[in-house]
Amino acid sequence: MSQTTVKKKKKSSMAGGRKRQGAYLLMVLPGVLFLLAFAYLPMPGALLGFKFYQMTVPKPGDLFQNVFLNSLVKSEWVGLSNFTYLLKDAGMLIRNTVGYNLVFMVIGVVLQVGLAVIINEMRNRKTAKVYHTIMFMPYFVSWIVVMYALYAMISATGFINATFKAGGADYIRFYSEKKYWPWIFIIAQAWKYTGQGSIIYLATLTGFDEQLYEAGAIDGASKWEQFRYITLPQLMPTIVMLQILAIGRIFNGDFDMFYSLPNGSGTLRTVTQTIDVYVYDTLKKGNLRNSFGYAGAAAFFQSIVGFVLILLTNYIVRKHQPEMALF
Amino acid sequence: MTAIAKPKKNVHDNHNSDTQARNLISKRTNLLFNILLVVMCILVIFPLWIILISSFTSESSLSQYGYRLWPMEWSTMAYSYLFRDGSIMVTAYKNTLIATVSGTIISVITVGLYAYALSRPDFKFRKFFTFFSFFTMLFSGGTVSYYNMCRSVLGLKDTVWALFLPMAFSAYWVIIMRTFYQSNVPEAIIESARIDGAGEWRTLIQIVLPLAVPGFATVALFSAIGVWNDFRQCLLLNDSSEYYNLQYTIYQTMNNLRFLKENASRMGGVSVSNLPSETFRMAMAVVTVGPIILAYPFFQQYFVKGLTVGAVKG
Repeated sequence: MSQTTVKKKKKSSMAGGRKRQGAYLLMVLPGVLFLLAFAYLPMPGALLGFKFYQMTVPKPGDLFQNVFLNSLVKSEWVGLSNFTYLLKDAGMLIRNTVGYNLVFMVIGVVLQVGLAVIINEMRNRKTAKVYHTIMFMPYFVSWIVVMYALYAMISATGFINATFKAGGADYIRFYSEKKYWPWIFIIAQAWKYTGQGSIIYLATLTGFDEQLYEAGAIDGASKWEQFRYITLPQLMPTIVMLQILAIGRIFNGDFDMFYSLPNGSGTLRTVTQTIDVYVYDTLKKGNLRNSFGYAGAAAFFQSIVGFVLILLTNYIVRKHQPEMALF
Repeated sequence: MTAIAKPKKNVHDNHNSDTQARNLISKRTNLLFNILLVVMCILVIFPLWIILISSFTSESSLSQYGYRLWPMEWSTMAYSYLFRDGSIMVTAYKNTLIATVSGTIISVITVGLYAYALSRPDFKFRKFFTFFSFFTMLFSGGTVSYYNMCRSVLGLKDTVWALFLPMAFSAYWVIIMRTFYQSNVPEAIIESARIDGAGEWRTLIQIVLPLAVPGFATVALFSAIGVWNDFRQCLLLNDSSEYYNLQYTIYQTMNNLRFLKENASRMGGVSVSNLPSETFRMAMAVVTVGPIILAYPFFQQYFVKGLTVGAVKG
């Protein structure tokens, strides 16, 4: 574009300014409505955690004619008492949520970086692509289908019991033995996310300067040494930043996985229940008085800790690698 | 250069003097990597294979021999029962299809518009609306409030709307789409359209839209997969089986099955053989995941694109 364009541009942006702003506002409008309805509207409801929820049918003249809103407003403030109620389970819930997430992170990094490096190094490029396509596939399989696959593997007549205990009555009761479940979750996570997680590392790897490797090779560095001293150090910033971002979400579990894989087995509760699952289970105990209050308190705790952690981790990321920061 | 490096680098490399365009791993290592990846791929496919094969097994053989790599006795009975009139699967499929199509269309339109406005440097309220959408990634009112607002205030309880509306718009997709506009649609093209007298809407539809098709495809596919695989929205918002989606329907069926099987001995009179068919359930899982697995290799590239932007920014 020539200079005349630039001149004309300035002119046109001055002339059509208001009309254009109107068009832009109209463009964001539908999105704004969605955000208002599904993200902003529930935000004040976070206050549920500080209330003793009692259903109060609105009387004519009340501000809110909706039962929930009216109850939310009319229910009594109880300070932090809902939170103290949670204390008895808090240790277990935090251990499960944070503990599983940490293990998933560590194992995830090793597998994902490993896969990315291997795929990147393969001499047969086309087959490498096929491998990656297959490894990526589980990402698209819902946790509910994974639950079916798991059932087919570990149920009384499942593949493992059918193969190793053929005919015997003493099958392994996976669905009532706690000791297997941490492993089941770890394997399920690795199965579902290794291919998907490797994508970002693969994209980073392909951007590395080939000359560095050639120089390394001239200096007699083996492929392993090249990985150790050239690839890994260059990949480190990406690895570290992704982990820091993951820490920002460490209080959020994969609800679908933790909720569905144990298949509703109550005996496994202490090793399978995360904060998200607890919130849902409590919420669904409609007969329990103040179940909304207790669940709300747990949800509020999760929201606020998550909020602080994201701000904190983002602050760290922005300091060291601004282009990877969320904001 | 690499020719000099080769002997030092690897003594096993004897046959690749002409393929040694770049610094490659040895053929032996390459073979090892191939074996490793074949094993990994088998591990990935294996659980899905078991589901598929058991859905083609006869019920009696499945209950007698359990889940196997290869059926003792083949049968397609499960599938012939699957889509009978009035089957819960017919309803679930219908609901999921409606939700997926509607959800995807709404996502593309709303996210496409929102992100376009945010990508325009001359939008006055750009900062505000960026933050307005971004803040929802940082803080949420929590599941309890969300549950009540959707069910009681917004009236989504027991509707097909519940299966896609709450998921139709996401700040995360806005970021992907905005990045896409910024990197794929040259500013100069928009300028020249403007000079030719095109308004904002015409510029967007006639000039920007064709250039941003891969971006729209990315958002559309994320949205479609999200709605198709959704379990949580349905669990939270829909109580009546008339409005269940696929995932929730098969979840319910599985849950009942395991419960019945484990307690069969305690429920005197009910024998395991009288329980609803297990192969039938596996067939349900096959038709739930089938379309996605068949379609995904064709769309993979868009997901890769979206995830490379999204993994960092999402």
